[in-house]
Amino acid sequence: MFEARLGQATTLKKILDAIKDLLNEGTFDCSDSGIQLQAMDNSHVSLVSLTLRSDGFDKFRCDRNLSMGMNLGSMAKILKCANNEDNVTMKAQDNADTVTIMFESANQEKVSDYEMKLMNLDQEHLGIPETEYSCVVRMPAIEFARICRDLAQFSESVVICCTKEGVKFSASGDVGTANIKLAQTGSVDKEEEAVIIDMQEPVTLTFACRYLNAFTKATPLSTQVQLSMCADVPLVVEYAIKDLGHIRYYLAPKIEDNET
Amino acid sequence: MGILGLSKLIADMAPLAIRESEIKNFFGRKVAIDASMCLYQFLIAVRSEGAQLATVNGDPTSHLMGMFYRTIRLLDNGIKPVYVFDGKPPDLKAGELAKRAERREEAEKALKLATDAGDEAEIEKFNRRLVRVTKEHSNEAKQLLKLMGVPYVDAPCEAEAQCAALVKAGKVYATATEDMDALTFGSCKLLRYLTYSEARKMPVKEFSYDKVLQGLELTSKEFIDLCILMGCDYCDSIKGVGPKRAIELIKSYRDIETILENIDTSKYTVPENWNYKRARELFVEPEVTDASDIDLKWTAPDEDGLVQFLCGDRQFNEERVRNGAKKLLKSKQAQTQVRLDSFFKTMPSTPNANASAAAKRKAEESKKSANNKKAKTSGGSGAARGRRPK
Repeated sequence: MFEARLGQATTLKKILDAIKDLLNEGTFDCSDSGIQLQAMDNSHVSLVSLTLRSDGFDKFRCDRNLSMGMNLGSMAKILKCANNEDNVTMKAQDNADTVTIMFESANQEKVSDYEMKLMNLDQEHLGIPETEYSCVVRMPAIEFARICRDLAQFSESVVICCTKEGVKFSASGDVGTANIKLAQTGSVDKEEEAVIIDMQEPVTLTFACRYLNAFTKATPLSTQVQLSMCADVPLVVEYAIKDLGHIRYYLAPKIEDNET
Repeated sequence: MGILGLSKLIADMAPLAIRESEIKNFFGRKVAIDASMCLYQFLIAVRSEGAQLATVNGDPTSHLMGMFYRTIRLLDNGIKPVYVFDGKPPDLKAGELAKRAERREEAEKALKLATDAGDEAEIEKFNRRLVRVTKEHSNEAKQLLKLMGVPYVDAPCEAEAQCAALVKAGKVYATATEDMDALTFGSCKLLRYLTYSEARKMPVKEFSYDKVLQGLELTSKEFIDLCILMGCDYCDSIKGVGPKRAIELIKSYRDIETILENIDTSKYTVPENWNYKRARELFVEPEVTDASDIDLKWTAPDEDGLVQFLCGDRQFNEERVRNGAKKLLKSKQAQTQVRLDSFFKTMPSTPNANASAAAKRKAEESKKSANNKKAKTSGGSGAARGRRPK
């Protein structure tokens, strides 16, 4: 028996919105420590890793480890039926082939439940090695989303260059070139508006805008975003989900093709 | 021509070996393509008002048109093709080739009849059946590829075998073909429908060799025997043994020798002097050029060369050719997107998924065939692909 209850449906809605553009389907692995989802997009360029800790739920029970493969589009449709303030409960029997999602209004007067078929997905799990990143940038999530959106107008790819002074995002295409520089915040008054750079070594990497823009769908989940970079390894874009866990996106870089 | 019913068998018994995805997900991949089959398809399919495109002298140019635009489309999607041309057919294929020659003769007769009767539709139908790829066509195609900066390989024998060798050596990612025998030759990955025109909106089917073996629970040797039983180009097969029977036999006896000892000869007629051993050798050790000796290089296109070659007598539109050349050049300059697979290691997948996926697929199929009589939507596709005579 698996049962997980969250006080506000809006969190779950935001989580689904943050992953459903990249992934058509995904497997929620439930254990007594919480819920995890790891999946690559179809092109195998990016990976979503979602962790929701059991202690972040209002109620969490998972007797046996359970993998629930879901069509994320269908899941998002069901969540659209919930009001933001509703309580949401996910329930499944052991070895079940369906999951039940129940919404209760705050005053307990309206209860709706939806049953969804589960899928048996053959998904490749990837082992992600521990990495010491040479640059870790924390910045306002909204700022990052804005930069990605703006630069996508100029080119398919954006160059992220991180030095001691700050972080620079640039793109160049037929229209011309665009550069956006962010300096490290001098004095931190409001933590959520700060740009903080932790650099061991300067890094310059190129990434596809398309994926970065897909990642920024997670912006409503968190005020800050953290970018971790290291030469020749995938970028990590992390959004914390308050009191519940985090969502991490991995993105493989673009490289110069010197073979041909 | 491939192995009869193999793709359907794989879909039924090893569904996890097949993955469907969009063409754009194959960016950055190098693929080997059987050129002779492509040329044949183009000569049949690329037509305007039923007639082949031609030079001022009436020599066909359909194959060049097809080759030019298909290659551009692949490169535009970030896929790097290498074309492999057939060499001489193996001796064992003589039987199969004789059969094809027979069919051609029949078609020729039928064409005569139709011409006498003046039946336009029939004339066109049999005209298409008479299409064959000549040395001349191949040479023109090679010349075109050179100008486009796309590499090609001359196989000493069967192109499929050479493609498989390139894949096995890691020179390319997959063989893109409609013939399933690339799998029998041991191509680790086989892509179907990759070369189809975009208009069809078909997803590319990716077959993984190791997952095929895993799903069918066979070794590579047993898989080859299975393919021979199912019917290949190189020898006859036992009458009355279809795909289902073939896999049962292989699973209980493990090789053709043992099957022959145990088979009920009153029910099944084994061909006389059945040459399955030679066929097997052909699959195990085909005549190919050592892939490590092959150097694949994609270079910049020669725009003026292309214009000179395609326009003029061959009547291509100069503006379009120049645009094509620009696209080729552009595809060369783009940076390459890396995949996560090259950084993170895959962990073993869930073992029970295979069985249940197979069960599910079966259930869906039976539902489908119950609803409408035109079942077999999944495996077949035979009607759409051109057979290749030689």
